[in-house]
Amino acid sequence: MQHAGNLLAPDPELASHYAREFYGRRQESVRLWVVPRAAIRDVDDPDLLQPPLDRSFKKPVGYSAEIKRKLAAARARVAGEQP
Amino acid sequence: MSAPDPVPAGAPAAASGLDEPTRRALAGLLLAMADDEFVLGFWDSEWTGIAPLLEEDVAFSSLAQDEIGHAQALYRILADLVGGDPDRIAFGREAQEYRHARLLDHARTDWAFSIARRFLYDTADAARLDLLVASAYAPLAGLVAKMRREETYHLLHVSAWLERLARGGEEPRRRLAEALELLWPDALCVLAPLPGEERLVEAGILAEPLAAAEQRWLAGLAPLLGRLDLGMPFRRAGGRLEPTVPRPASPRGDHSPSFQWLWTELTSVYRLDPEASW
Repeated sequence: MQHAGNLLAPDPELASHYAREFYGRRQESVRLWVVPRAAIRDVDDPDLLQPPLDRSFKKPVGYSAEIKRKLAAARARVAGEQP
Repeated sequence: MSAPDPVPAGAPAAASGLDEPTRRALAGLLLAMADDEFVLGFWDSEWTGIAPLLEEDVAFSSLAQDEIGHAQALYRILADLVGGDPDRIAFGREAQEYRHARLLDHARTDWAFSIARRFLYDTADAARLDLLVASAYAPLAGLVAKMRREETYHLLHVSAWLERLARGGEEPRRRLAEALELLWPDALCVLAPLPGEERLVEAGILAEPLAAAEQRWLAGLAPLLGRLDLGMPFRRAGGRLEPTVPRPASPRGDHSPSFQWLWTELTSVYRLDPEASW
């Protein structure tokens, strides 16, 4: 599910027709959800979405970065042990 | 005015397995349907940039493109049947050689007029497509099955507008009613009998004569137009709806100056160089 965009329409029926033409006329959609603006709950508190503490460990990239660091250290150690 | 023969002289006999009179009648049906869709598509695309609201502008233009897509597919089937090039059939004829119904001879006019015309055309066309969905001519049956799926949506869209104009206050309602009144006689041209159609019925290409589709079309419209308190110029006679307005003598010919203007527009690029490759 992906936000396609917004449009203005006088009522829900025409909104559905217009959504089809705006976001489906090139066969780019298989389904559309049409929601009136008033039904959208806006969650924009920065403390909920952008907490001040480091949360990089929740990203898969943080995990793989640690693996890469350990791998590089191991390689360096092996290289140093070679005669 | 006599109708020019849609089948080019000396065209290679297509491997359709049809006898010559049936093939000619089928070519006439395909040309009528293709020209209807083609001309409606060009008229409605005149709203691009100036429709009543931006969203409708995009939607109506897209619908117009759909009609031109249907025309393209029908010209293709016609070209496969009679020989020749679909683009040449679409763009390479003189204005009076087009075989669209007189309903499509009117200019865009105002929004209520365009909605009234599209409503009458789309509903009549749906009744025509119903006669072709099980056609013995397989290329046409296959295309009609796809066209019907798009036309269902077109009908929802135009019916939504018809209702809103009919209930949208004095001026929209008056303009809509006046447009319908003016268009009714020419709307009867869409399902007027075509030359040789009895052969198409015999061959199973057309399920029934177009007159049967016309009755179903009118019977189907009556509840909606009645609910919106929009009049229909018909009376019941022996279980049939008979028009109280005269049927035009030349349902698909004798085209108007408005269409002559549209033809000049829509063929202007083609006529610059008919041999050009795009």
